[in-house]
Amino acid sequence: MRSSTNNIDKTKAAGRKFVLLAACGFFVFVLLSGMSSAPARKVSIRKLEGSRYQLIVSGKPYIIKGVCYSPIPAGQSHEYDWWSDKSKPWITDGKLMQEMGINTIRLYQTHDDLNEVRAVIRDLYDNYGIRSVVGDWLGFWEYPCPFYGDKKFQERIKNNVLEMVRALKDEPGVLFWVLGNENNYSCLGHVNPWSSDEIDREPDAQKQKTMRAKIYYSFVNNLAREIKKIDPEHPVALGNGELVGLEFAKESCPDIDIVACIIYRGKTFGNLFKSLKMTFDRPVFFAEFGADAYDVFANKEDQNMQAFFLESQWRQIYENLYNNKVGEGNCIGGTVFEWTDEWWKHNPSDPEAWKIHDTEGGWTNGSYYNDIRVTGGKNMNEEWFGIVAISEQAENGINKRTPRKAYYVIREFWKNPDLSAKKKGNKK
Amino acid sequence: MRFLKTVIILSACITGFLINYASAEDNLVALSKQIMDSKCGLSVYPALEKTADKYFEDHKYNEYSDFINSLLKQIEACPVLNYNAALARFNQLKYLEESQGWDEYFAKGNDYRDQIVDNLSKAVGAVPVQDALGVRSRLLLWQFHRDQQDAFHEEALDGLIKGITEYAHSGQDADLIKEVADTISSYGEKGRSKEVYRLYVQKLTGGEVKLEDLKQVALSFYNEGNLDLAESLFDAYIEKSLDSSPKEKTIPELLEIATLFSYKDSGQKDPVYAEKIFAKAESTGGKEALGEEQIYLRAFNLEKSKDWRGAGDAYASLVERFSESKYVNRAIFKLGIIHTYILRDKERGTEYFVKLTEKNGAGPEGVSSLYQLGLLNQWQGESAKAKAYYNKLIEKAQDSFNETKSLTNLRLKEIEEGRSLDSNLAAFMDNALKEENAQFDMSRVSISASPYTANRDSEILVNSSALSGASGCMQVELQYLWSGDLGANLVQSAQANFNTSYRDPGTKVINLLVLVPSGTLDRALDFADIE
Repeated sequence: MRSSTNNIDKTKAAGRKFVLLAACGFFVFVLLSGMSSAPARKVSIRKLEGSRYQLIVSGKPYIIKGVCYSPIPAGQSHEYDWWSDKSKPWITDGKLMQEMGINTIRLYQTHDDLNEVRAVIRDLYDNYGIRSVVGDWLGFWEYPCPFYGDKKFQERIKNNVLEMVRALKDEPGVLFWVLGNENNYSCLGHVNPWSSDEIDREPDAQKQKTMRAKIYYSFVNNLAREIKKIDPEHPVALGNGELVGLEFAKESCPDIDIVACIIYRGKTFGNLFKSLKMTFDRPVFFAEFGADAYDVFANKEDQNMQAFFLESQWRQIYENLYNNKVGEGNCIGGTVFEWTDEWWKHNPSDPEAWKIHDTEGGWTNGSYYNDIRVTGGKNMNEEWFGIVAISEQAENGINKRTPRKAYYVIREFWKNPDLSAKKKGNKK
Repeated sequence: MRFLKTVIILSACITGFLINYASAEDNLVALSKQIMDSKCGLSVYPALEKTADKYFEDHKYNEYSDFINSLLKQIEACPVLNYNAALARFNQLKYLEESQGWDEYFAKGNDYRDQIVDNLSKAVGAVPVQDALGVRSRLLLWQFHRDQQDAFHEEALDGLIKGITEYAHSGQDADLIKEVADTISSYGEKGRSKEVYRLYVQKLTGGEVKLEDLKQVALSFYNEGNLDLAESLFDAYIEKSLDSSPKEKTIPELLEIATLFSYKDSGQKDPVYAEKIFAKAESTGGKEALGEEQIYLRAFNLEKSKDWRGAGDAYASLVERFSESKYVNRAIFKLGIIHTYILRDKERGTEYFVKLTEKNGAGPEGVSSLYQLGLLNQWQGESAKAKAYYNKLIEKAQDSFNETKSLTNLRLKEIEEGRSLDSNLAAFMDNALKEENAQFDMSRVSISASPYTANRDSEILVNSSALSGASGCMQVELQYLWSGDLGANLVQSAQANFNTSYRDPGTKVINLLVLVPSGTLDRALDFADIE
């Protein structure tokens, strides 16, 4: 019996050893397999039932709470190289952003020296946990106008974009890529018009628009496909003004993961979320939205209206996140236009005007109804969109930053995004 | 005993507070006595209001709130104190917004808001609905929610309207009613403010509104620039007039009101309302109801509303009924232009031009009609016919109408040199007259002139606006092709607006075609009348 008992004990001990060994082996296998094959991409889109979408970052849902970032100092223009600014404005800004709750910035276009770009992205991520959505204009502001129908032009733009992707794809701070901004309006022929021999031969203006849209969206899709060959770990977004032209994107852009919408509809996005599902079923990231802080009709700064519009816009974004059953669930967040005012924008060709914070309206948008009554209807003040004002007074080697009311209102909203109707506006 | 004790405590608190604060301000001493003699009732209100004003002026909201709150600890149910406590926080929040004191605004703002709602609820609950303090409390509560743009503002407005209605019916003074109406109106709540203004009118007219009183009140609001209210009152006046007076008496009243609101270069106007009243006068008294002056004014008013078809009908009616009118030449010429270039009926337009050229004493419009006939022929490639009209014009104009003659000479030179018609003019005419351009309906471009009716050599600002379609934040590059009677601005402007003046009297026709990079956006046309 004893012997038998001993045998049984030995057998049990051997069994325990085996189980332990097997468990260890399984653990090591899981660990190794996880390391070698990286089953989850760093950043990805997860589609849920009912065309609801999540942006997944390191395995967790991520809501983009961001700003568009272009820290041009007073007295300088868009040509200013802020990336190599010794005072590192992004360090001061990153701290303020972190205090507000910002987790993402949008960079419209990188810089010739991609090492400097990498340093900015890394500083923001390492110091403040802020990720970067990295974009490219796709030659939209080149002179003469962009020729999306020209193969040489396409090739040159593609090389630039892929160089950017190769250089930055391994930065942990990169969230995803955005191709273009409002380039789609050029397909209508009103802004930055471009053509090709084939388009010129077409007498019907409406058909010309269709031809341009097909050429443009096919080009963007090719870019997206090429990016994914190099970098399968970050989604690619299509920068698009409003929803204009997305019926063509539906046909031509199967490799696009996200619609990065540039949209200025005042206090509401209207039926955009539903419309997008019907035209081009992709998650929407609001790459640009917001309100200016100047009432051109009353001719004075109006931080209240800016804050009111922005809170209303963020409320709609939250109502349409994946986890809100009431909304469409296809929104993944947004980057407000913009972090700081840019004093060069009203008169880009006049260096003297860059030193002045211009108060003249630059374009018309009736959705911002508070000052639309101004003579001529130009109510949008391009130099006053910052949620942080700048002044010529220096602090930390850069223009002093003064957060506007919108900064605090959004901060409070993000802390407690209570969407119940009765609470609406109460925590302003 | 308990009440007496409360009053003594209250008086002591007020005294202490005022003595402290008044030490720097002598006039507060007198105020102190006034408040000390008061009880916790409405009589305290004026003194507290003055004190509050002083503190608010110095932005000492916390000090004032502390004082009021210390009193409220003793006598919680005092509505005047509750109102003042809320008023202090309301003004404090406004001040923090203006001064951008965001740290305090966001750190303590929600506490202040809770206090406002709490204090005002207590004030409203402690007085009868028709009480003046209750109305003021409701007004402040609504302003608070309205400023917040929160979900409670409609409910608060309903409460305010109910309160002010009760207040009005209880026979109290009218000033507070107007104050409430003005405040509601200042927030853009025109519909709801009208309800309160009606109460005010009833109050002024002793409940039974006499027709003449109603008209006078409407006129006073018209003169104040409160056109919404004036129109609402005139509507009530017209309705009562039609019910109680013969139409012979009512129609002149209608025409007087329509004239009041008709288009004019300066002063109060609402051309759409004016046309509504003109139409009512016509439906009441038939076409004969409108005399020569009224038909012309109606046509001019429609023209300035860009209701071209309506203007054409009215001008045609004037020509038909008053063929000897001083306005008839101008009316015929405008009919020619409207039909040719706006309604795309060149044949009918030509008939009007021909009619004027055959008419004796057609004045500047007769000369301009010859120019138009020459122009239409030149555009159609009928150079000989065009030249004949132009030569006839030169002959007829003699030493007058130099501006039209200058344009004519330019056209003759084009014909003589075998050149094409001026490119801006040709592009405008192509757009207006060619069938292939029928889709351009003048809805995307418009012109305005300020003033529309001017004396010779006086300055006119010609402005334009264009709706160019979706382009996001980017401005579409627009090309402005002006043509027609550009007056002193003979150098054609490529801008959206220009200043000009005219040396000769008559009706001036200003044309515009706007181009976008992808082609034509639209055209526009407008008249300026030089006296």
